[in-house]
Amino acid sequence: MTNRDEAVMSPKFGNVPKSSARRRQGRVAVAADGWRRWWPYYVMMAPGILFFLIFHYLPIWEARIAFEQVRIVPPNIWVGIKHFQVLFSSPVFWQVLANTLIISAMKMVFFLPVPIIVALLLNEVRGGSLRKFIQSAIYLPHFLSWVVIAGIFIAALSPTDGAVNNIMGMAGIAPRSFMTDTGAIRWVLVFTEIWRSAGWDSLLYLAAIIAIDQQLYDAAEIDGANRWQKIRHVTLPGIVPTIATLFILNAGMFLNADLNQVINLSNDVVRSKIDIVDTYVYRIGLQTGEYSLATAAGLFKAVLGTMMIVIAHFVSKRLTGKGVW
Amino acid sequence: MALSRKTPIERIEYAIIVSTLLLLVVVTVQPILNLLAVSLSNPAKVPGMSGLTIIPRGFSFEVWSVLLQHPNVQRGIFNSIFITAVSTVIGVVGTALMAWGLSRPGLPGRKALFILVLVTIVFEPGIIPDYFVNKRLGLLDSYWSVILFKAVNAWYLIILIRFFEEIPQELLEAAELDGANPFQVFWHLVLPLAKPALATISLFYLVFHWNEFFRAMIYLNDQGKWPLQVVLRQFVIDGDKVAIVGANNASNNTGASQIDLRSLKAGMILLTIVPILAIYPLILKFFTKGTMSGALKG
Repeated sequence: MTNRDEAVMSPKFGNVPKSSARRRQGRVAVAADGWRRWWPYYVMMAPGILFFLIFHYLPIWEARIAFEQVRIVPPNIWVGIKHFQVLFSSPVFWQVLANTLIISAMKMVFFLPVPIIVALLLNEVRGGSLRKFIQSAIYLPHFLSWVVIAGIFIAALSPTDGAVNNIMGMAGIAPRSFMTDTGAIRWVLVFTEIWRSAGWDSLLYLAAIIAIDQQLYDAAEIDGANRWQKIRHVTLPGIVPTIATLFILNAGMFLNADLNQVINLSNDVVRSKIDIVDTYVYRIGLQTGEYSLATAAGLFKAVLGTMMIVIAHFVSKRLTGKGVW
Repeated sequence: MALSRKTPIERIEYAIIVSTLLLLVVVTVQPILNLLAVSLSNPAKVPGMSGLTIIPRGFSFEVWSVLLQHPNVQRGIFNSIFITAVSTVIGVVGTALMAWGLSRPGLPGRKALFILVLVTIVFEPGIIPDYFVNKRLGLLDSYWSVILFKAVNAWYLIILIRFFEEIPQELLEAAELDGANPFQVFWHLVLPLAKPALATISLFYLVFHWNEFFRAMIYLNDQGKWPLQVVLRQFVIDGDKVAIVGANNASNNTGASQIDLRSLKAGMILLTIVPILAIYPLILKFFTKGTMSGALKG
C-alpha cells in the first residue's frame, strides 16, 4: 500500500473526536502517580517502541553514508556533500526528478476528479442492492498488488490478444503496443492508477455526501431544484472540504510517484519516460552498488518530501480542519 | 420517491447514470474474468483467444493443476502464507499493545511517543539505509527481513489509538478502582470492546503483507523463500519462463513448456489473488463500515 493510500485512509478515522480525550487529561493527570502507575503500559508498549527505534530510526542513522565514502574495509571516510554535488550535476537525476513531477501532476489532474464523479453518480443510484453490487465490483482492484495489476494490464494491453487492441481492431484502428510505447506509457500509469483506486477513493467522497444534512435536499426539492441543481448547489458544496483535504494531501505526496507501480509496469524500452526517483535509487543503489549516491538521492527526496507533507498538513488543517495525521 | 412520479427526462438521466456505473463495473471486472477464462480453457485452444471473452474455450483444469503441482509455486504459496500469518499476528499484537498505552491521556511521555511515531510517517530515508539496517542485523535472506517490514504500521497504530480513545474513560477508571491492573483492563475490557477495530486492522495487515513484494525481492536472494508475489513477478513481469516450466522442459519443449504461456500466466495471476478474493466479503464489511461510520460521526 502506498503512502498516498494510507494518508487518504487516515482522515476518515481521524475525525473521531479528539477533544474529549484532551478535556479528560487534566482530571486523569491528578489521579496519576507517575511511574508506579504507568510502568505496566511501558512494558506493553516496549515491543512497538523498540520496533520503531530499530526499523525507523536506525535507518535514519544509516543514511549518513550519503556523506561518506563506503569502503570494503571499514571505517568509511567522511566526504561531506560530495555525493550530492555528483547527484545534482547528473542529467539522469534531473530527468528522473522531472519524470516524477510529470507523472504526479498527470495523476493529480486526471485521477482526482474520477472518484468524485463516481461518488456523485453512486449517490444517485436508489436501489440498495444495485448500489452494493456496483460498489463491491469497483472497490476490488484497490486490494490487488501492483504485480498482479501489472500482470492483468500486460495481458489487457497486449497488441495481439489484449482487450484494448481487440476493441480498437473492431473500429479499424491498427494495434498498438502500449507497454513498449514511450508516448503511451505514462498514460498507462495514470489509467492503471484510476483502475486501481478511483473506485475505492470514491468511498471517501460518498461518506462525505451521506453526511450532508438531508434537510438541505428537502429544501432544494421544495424550491423545485432538479437533479443537477441539487448536485451543484447542495452535494458539491458539501464535499468541498473533503476534496480540498485530499487535493492537499496528494500535493504533499507529490514526490511519491509510487515505486511499486512503476517497477512493475516498466521495461527497458520505456524506462527513460517513467524512471522516478525511487526506481533510480533502487537501480543505482541495490543493482549497481553505488550506495552513497543512491542514499543521497533518497535523502534529497525524503527531505523535500517531508517539507511538502508538513506544509500540506498545516495548509489542510488551516483550511479544512483536517490534517494528515 | 416512486419511479412512476418521475418525468421521462429524469428516467433517461437515471438510465445514463446507471449505465455509466455498469460500464465502470465491466471495465473493472472484465480483465480479471478474461484471465479466468483463459486459465480455465483448454491450453491448446488459447492461442488466438480474444481478450474480450469471458467464456473459456474447451473447459480444462490443466493449467491450474500444472501450477499447483509446481514446486516453485508450492513454495511460494507456503512462504506467502507463512510470512503473512506471522507478520499479521506480530503486527496486530504489537499495534494493539502500543495503541493501548498511547490512548491513555495521562501516560507520561505520551506526546514524545506520538512525535516518535509521526516522524516515521513524514520522513522516510529510503530503501538503501533500510537495506543496511537489515544487513547489519543479519536479517538479509531471512524471512524476518520481510516479516518485520512495517510490522507495526504507524497509520494503523493511529487508527487504533483513535478507536481506543472512544472507549468511555469512566469504564476504564471503574475497572481500575476495582483493582484491575492495566494488563487485565486491556485483556478483559479493551480488547472485547475493540473487536471491530481489531478486525479492521487485521485485514489491513493481511492485505498489506500478502501484497508486499518489493522487500521480499530485494532482501531474499534464496528463491526457496520467495513469496508468491515475487514468483509471479519473475514469471509474468520479467518473463522468466524457466521459473515456471523448468529448465529441462524449457530447453526440450516438454511437459509444462508445451502449455501455452499465456494461460500459465493468467492462472498464476489469479492464483495470487485467490486469498484476497476469499477475504473480500470481510473487507467490504469492515472497511466500508469503518469508513462510513467515521464520516457520519464527523
